[in-house]
Amino acid sequence: MADINKVSEQQQELNEKINKAAKSSGTEIAKALTFIIDDRIYGVDISYVNEIVGVPHITVIPGIPYYIKGVINVRSKVIPIIDVRARFDLPEKEHDDKTSTIIITYMDIQVGIIVDQVQEVLSVKAENKADIPALERVNNNKFIEYILETNDSIKMILDVKKLIFDDDFDIEAVAAE
Amino acid sequence: MAKVEAGMEGMVDMYLFETTTLIDQLDEILLRTEQANEFTDDDINEVFRIMHTVKGSSAMMGFENLQKLAHKGEDMFFIIREDPSKMKDIGFVYDLVFQMSDLFKAEIEEIRSNPDYEGTDFSEMIAKLENGAKMLQGELDEAEAAEGGEQSAAAKSGGIEAANENQSVIRVYFEQDCKMENLRAFLLLNRLKESFDVIDWFPKDVENNAESSGIIQEDGFLVTLNKADVDEALKVVEQSVNVDTYEIVTDEKEEEGAAPQQEAAEQPAQPANTAQAAAKAEKPAEVKPAPAETKKEAAPVKKEAPAPAKKPERAPSQQVSSNSGKQSLISVNLQKLDQLHDIVGEIITTESMVISNPELEGLKLESFQKAARELRKLTDELQDSVMSIRMVPLVGPFQKMHRIVRDMKQKLGKNVELVIEGEDTEVDKSIVDNLNDPLMHLVRNCMDHGIEEDVNERIAHGKPDKGTIKLSATSSAGEVIITVADDGGGIDTDRVLQKAEDAGLLTKPASEYSEREINNMIMLPGFSTNTEVTEYSGRGVGMDVVKKNIEKSGGSIFVESKRYEGSTFIIKIPLTLAIIAGMEVRVGDVIFTVPTSAIKQSFKITNNQIIYDTQGNEMIMLRGECYPILKLYQKYNLETDTTDFEQGILILVEADGKKVCLFADKLIGEQQVVVKPFPSYLSRYNLKAEGLSGCSIMGDGSISLIIDINNVIDKQ
Repeated sequence: MADINKVSEQQQELNEKINKAAKSSGTEIAKALTFIIDDRIYGVDISYVNEIVGVPHITVIPGIPYYIKGVINVRSKVIPIIDVRARFDLPEKEHDDKTSTIIITYMDIQVGIIVDQVQEVLSVKAENKADIPALERVNNNKFIEYILETNDSIKMILDVKKLIFDDDFDIEAVAAE
Repeated sequence: MAKVEAGMEGMVDMYLFETTTLIDQLDEILLRTEQANEFTDDDINEVFRIMHTVKGSSAMMGFENLQKLAHKGEDMFFIIREDPSKMKDIGFVYDLVFQMSDLFKAEIEEIRSNPDYEGTDFSEMIAKLENGAKMLQGELDEAEAAEGGEQSAAAKSGGIEAANENQSVIRVYFEQDCKMENLRAFLLLNRLKESFDVIDWFPKDVENNAESSGIIQEDGFLVTLNKADVDEALKVVEQSVNVDTYEIVTDEKEEEGAAPQQEAAEQPAQPANTAQAAAKAEKPAEVKPAPAETKKEAAPVKKEAPAPAKKPERAPSQQVSSNSGKQSLISVNLQKLDQLHDIVGEIITTESMVISNPELEGLKLESFQKAARELRKLTDELQDSVMSIRMVPLVGPFQKMHRIVRDMKQKLGKNVELVIEGEDTEVDKSIVDNLNDPLMHLVRNCMDHGIEEDVNERIAHGKPDKGTIKLSATSSAGEVIITVADDGGGIDTDRVLQKAEDAGLLTKPASEYSEREINNMIMLPGFSTNTEVTEYSGRGVGMDVVKKNIEKSGGSIFVESKRYEGSTFIIKIPLTLAIIAGMEVRVGDVIFTVPTSAIKQSFKITNNQIIYDTQGNEMIMLRGECYPILKLYQKYNLETDTTDFEQGILILVEADGKKVCLFADKLIGEQQVVVKPFPSYLSRYNLKAEGLSGCSIMGDGSISLIIDINNVIDKQ
């Protein structure tokens, strides 16, 4: 089995940033952890992120949707894993040493999401945050919450809730369990 | 939780627990006596004692309203105790006391859950109880009433005297700073009463007057006993907690002279003359304890009139368990037990991690293996003890059903008897808590739908006119089987089928359903056969909720029924939730855990032993029996190289008398595994129906899936 302790230097560095980034300061309105999927840059609000781990051995569970790959063991906790590529209907890609699992908690529900590569922790400022056009919402971009423009590139910040849960998911009932 | 005086927070839990236990006891006695139509002196004394204790402890906690309520109940039973013949055929007393016990239960729940708790006003109920007491008293003739009055007057005169030469007075001092001396004295008194004839004691009102603490602190607690008992009694005193010193005062006059000196010697800090004055005091009310001594000042206890005179009586033995000063029982917060339980689970996992560490493979480690075995033995023991701590008997939930049957019997006008068996069967605490609601629902269901409305209908089918509901529990091989059976009309399969069809619940042609399947349809969501909604059941949220609750505890429920003979609900729940012995088997990349309790045997076969039916399903003959083969890789759609029966292994498993052979790649080994439920995120996918009951973290950190044999067989 893969060792969850075998975290790459980059992952380690980001983990430290995540731990520090509990509070935003100055003109910053939020922080986002960015990652790469299929050469595009996405991000999630850092307040949902617990930590980044490698890709431990995934135990397949029968009878669940294709994008939930199974469960992993992170320090004796059993956590379900979502493959973001599968969630975006992208072709699967062989996991390599850059592949990372980001552990996210939303309303006490913990899941891991598999991304091709984690990138960096960014400040979100009001001036470089842009809402996505309403039209695009209707299209296939149903997971995107807003767009973050920094000097060199455009990052799509994902709506964690929509990423993890399907519309009919009764989060409150499940979280209450 | 309700706010209480500072320093008392820790006591609230204890109070709630004790009071709940006492009220349950009260219910039980009332039900029993009402049924037997006989109220013995012991019962009356017991009820009186319960009321008395509840009154005392409510007063101590500052719940004045509850104290008053219990007081009125006590008054009523005081009258009955004076003349037990009055208790004959008095139904209204039962109703009153049941109402009172309901109020108590509701109030206790309120105290438990409401942080802004304010005492409910019970004046209505109190008035009712007062009326009840008057009605009882009205029947007492005047001579008796006068006699009763005299008796209590005599007892109230207080003080204490060794009336004749055959009696001795013991004086007991409690440790300084032990607080609540009055209650400690009360406990001691009860202990003494258990074994000896206690003739008198002072202060009289130790039980519910906190101010008597001051008196006891100063001049000790005085108990008069028969001389013959004194030596034995002193032993009891000696063993009691918090007792500092004690002495025998054989003669009142001698006492007056000797006591101050002895006191001065023993407790130099205490002013001797105050003590003496207090000892002589006629009534506690007249005693003004020195302010410095009244540690209970802050306690929110309202002083009340001295308790009704209490004749020395032998307290029933139950007293020991609830009130004994000896700490042979402690109550522990369940959360702490859960924590302990979790840690033990982790230890077992870690132990496997160490002992079956892959790095040790192939090494010859004799002493390591020996030490490992030793460790294994100890962790097993540790696990067993932690489990046993959490085990509680089913008495609680079972006894509650008496009450439900009683109430419904009256409302529905059905004559039904509740029979209870095996209530001492023990299960995990968390499971007991989850059983209350389902059991209540099932019993109500039996009362409401099971037992026939019309007695003639029963007689026509050759059954006694009195219906029976039987609640029983037995334990076998890691699980507890609880049955709720009635001898009523049974399930009308035609009606159920019709109803299910109307509700669109059928998944195959109606004619293909077996009787068993139809019976169990009543537990489908949204199914209710009763066309009318009654007070108790039939809101259409009945049986499916029961089923869900039981499955939440990892159990299963099914119903057996014979038309006109009755129906039986059978609940199977695991003894404990958390740790099971399991056989690890590999299928492709996935490891499954098969509960060892379900495994009959495992074996290798050759291909020519396989029998095929007309659909090409594989089966195998074993000792003259034919079992279907379930290929795990096929069921769960897993990739594996082992598809040839000769390479893999067959495991014969059994559940509910049905057997099936599971086909897996290979056996890995047996292990104690800690059952973890699937993450809540996955709870919307019905993994239980897939035959998976949970998962478990193995020694090497990988996760195994635990197979639910019941469901695997059913869904096959």
